Amino acid sequence: MSTTSPSRWKTIRNETGRALTALVIALAVALVVILLTSADPGAAFQTLLTAPLSSNRTMGLWIDDVAKLTLTGLAFSLVFQARQFSMGVQGQVYMGGLFAALIAMSPIGATPLAIPVAMLAAMCAGAVYGFIPGYAKARFGASEIVSSLMLNYIAILVVNYLIRAHLAPAGTGQLMTAKFPDTAIFPAILPGTRFDLGIIIALVATFAVWFLLYRTSWGLKLRLVGHNPKFAEYAGIRSSFIMVSAMTVAGAFGGLLGSVFVQGRAFGNLAQNFDGNLAFEGILIAIVARSRPLAVPVVALAYGYLRQGAQLMGIRTDVPTEMISVVQAIIILLVASSFSLPGKKLFAGLFGRKPTSAAAPEAAQ
Amino acid sequence: MAPLLEAISIGKTYPGGTVANDGVNLSVSAGEVHAVVGENGAGKSTLMKILFGIEQPDRGEIRLDGKVVSFANPREAIDHGIGMVFQHFSLVPSFSVYENVVLGSEPRNGIKFDRREAIEKVRALSEKFRLAVDPLPPVGQLPVGQQQRVEILKALYRDARILILDEPTAVLAPQEVEELFVAVRALVAQGRTVIFIAHKLPEVLEISDRITVMRGGKTVGSVNARDVTEESLATMMVGREIALRVERAKGRGELACEVKALKLTAESGVTIAQDLNLKVHSGEILGLVGVEGNGQAELLEAIAGLRPLADGVIYLNGTSLGPKSVLERRELGLASIPEDRIARGLATGSTIAENLVATRLADKRFVRNGLLDLKAIKANALSLIERFSIRSGGPGYAAGTLSGGNMQKVVVARELSEQPKLLLVNQPTRGVDLGATQFIWKSLTDARDGGAAVLLSSADLSELLALSDRLIVFYRGKIVAAFVNSDDLTAETLGTYMLGLSSQDPESMRAALQ
Repeated sequence: MSTTSPSRWKTIRNETGRALTALVIALAVALVVILLTSADPGAAFQTLLTAPLSSNRTMGLWIDDVAKLTLTGLAFSLVFQARQFSMGVQGQVYMGGLFAALIAMSPIGATPLAIPVAMLAAMCAGAVYGFIPGYAKARFGASEIVSSLMLNYIAILVVNYLIRAHLAPAGTGQLMTAKFPDTAIFPAILPGTRFDLGIIIALVATFAVWFLLYRTSWGLKLRLVGHNPKFAEYAGIRSSFIMVSAMTVAGAFGGLLGSVFVQGRAFGNLAQNFDGNLAFEGILIAIVARSRPLAVPVVALAYGYLRQGAQLMGIRTDVPTEMISVVQAIIILLVASSFSLPGKKLFAGLFGRKPTSAAAPEAAQ
Repeated sequence: MAPLLEAISIGKTYPGGTVANDGVNLSVSAGEVHAVVGENGAGKSTLMKILFGIEQPDRGEIRLDGKVVSFANPREAIDHGIGMVFQHFSLVPSFSVYENVVLGSEPRNGIKFDRREAIEKVRALSEKFRLAVDPLPPVGQLPVGQQQRVEILKALYRDARILILDEPTAVLAPQEVEELFVAVRALVAQGRTVIFIAHKLPEVLEISDRITVMRGGKTVGSVNARDVTEESLATMMVGREIALRVERAKGRGELACEVKALKLTAESGVTIAQDLNLKVHSGEILGLVGVEGNGQAELLEAIAGLRPLADGVIYLNGTSLGPKSVLERRELGLASIPEDRIARGLATGSTIAENLVATRLADKRFVRNGLLDLKAIKANALSLIERFSIRSGGPGYAAGTLSGGNMQKVVVARELSEQPKLLLVNQPTRGVDLGATQFIWKSLTDARDGGAAVLLSSADLSELLALSDRLIVFYRGKIVAAFVNSDDLTAETLGTYMLGLSSQDPESMRAALQ
């Protein structure tokens, strides 16, 4: 509801506090890892904390990550709110990326229509790819977790094959297509950086998902199905329709992320394995944001910063790259576990305060 | 005589700030039946969980034989001779009675399970305490009353000196209650002590020696059963005088809903109910009587559109409901208060306002062009909260933050916000305190007076007798008796039909079915 009840502010405070607590602990663990592996721990830790702000270029890297993390977080938030556990965002990203690339490399790619048409094509491709596991679940009872994961492999391998065998420039042996025409690549907001149209798209998408979920009857039905499918059935809501449509719409946002990947300034072409598993990090974003679309970009901002800091630490200091992954995994583990019930108790115990009401987190909105 | 079991100034606050027990005192002497009574939410269950080691108290102490004890878990409580029988049994349905009883502490012969000794022991126990349970059949085939006695045997097998029975009569028919009481008296006669949690006062007065009354997490006092009356006990429980009386229907109107030759099956194909024929007129309440699991709940689900019909038809004002969706049925004027408000009646994570419009998302008042009218939704919530005096923080709070009684009021408010033509009601006041019960009853009779035909199912016979104009009795999926309600009709009479002990002649049944 739009009413800003006191309970809502309390919830927001509680949730933010919990996320920050987890963050501090994660940083402490990272510090330990750095102390154990680096000859100059001070410099390494400072790199982790400040590197993303060190230049326009690194800020561009950070913001580019934020845009992508926001989009994948939104896609996961939508299906999680409907209590579906479709893991298919990665497949949708590849399908979206493929179709965006096909448009960009077609004659349309050289016209001013290139960006909107390619984005639209990517969204349609992603939507279709999201629809499949939804339909399979509604019609045949197939587990959406399994089918969406399998569809991810199919999408990645098909796209990789198409790049290698057909789309890469002949005879070069490259595992990527040629650069798209400039008209098909997102314009930079800060010239010379990756700070491009992607972040604008992500923010518009955030608003769109929020609007869909909290201002339309479809969104209300979706959330009711997510909260209690038996209640939805009793209230006369067609839950299978809601379920399939939620996965389809989420697929469109996954596809859009594919377009942001390939058309963004980071790539500007279609390469093998281009998402670097970023699509899956949307699960973490959605969990920490409690699937609330307006919280997703905020979480992405913080998480993206750490992610970029860790990567830059790997490049600029002597902390071995394996340890970077370890630190990232620990951060994910801590942040995610502080949102589970036993985790909450543990954190509450660590800080000597009473656990917050179990009912409160769902109170807002 | 020194008390056997004492709880002294017990305090317990749950995470989230609910104060369940606040300075509770209980003193139970050996060889007595000690009843603990109170409204739902008075803290009875928490106290029992503390005595049985499921919860640990924040303050206070427990003394057994004058010595301070503390139980970290039920195992330790059992080792100290305390046994507990929960409302929801923990039995393995496919295991036989004796296997269930000895499970976890089996008599052994070397490393082999000594079945013969187990059977002998269980048989001896059941004879000694007049529990009359055959050790051999699988538990799943026994009626509820027998299953409960298996639970009692489990406790006795583990040498329970003190037996805690948590609302044991809630699931029983009147005759089974009598049998339970025979067993309880046999237990006491042989030196065991029984703590009996209940809220049906006549039963409490009949069986117990002493009564401790709880209200709002505190003990109000302890009294001798022979010194109090039902009224004085009720006043102690609620803290004020209460009157649960209902105005009967003035006269019924047109035929509203007719069920003809209805048959219902489970997904496995097993028949749940068959040959169901009944009529309900506008302006009357038809009570569906029966021990749970005899087809009443399934009939209501079928009418509401949540269960397919295997055969037969249901008419609402002349329209056959069979092919209609849930939403279409609601448009025809059907409303339904389901059995379990948390599992079925609400989305507890959604806000009160959202719950109150969930069934009317096709209504132009709340949704236009697919967009929610938040102002109208909020106004609707505010007016219903006011009209049904739902105690809440506001329309934006999650339904799950409400107490049981207020949650039920949200369900009732949603279903009765517009006058229904056919109202299905299942367990309207289960787990609801007396104040809310009074209010919900009034809401139901208002809907009836507004012209609704009401089908009411309840496990509480006094509720059915108080509200219904006619009653029909279900036994094993069939209608076995029908009555026009009158002051002469008693719970005992209904009970004999509920258990299949007597049968009604077809003539009087047909007369009451019209």
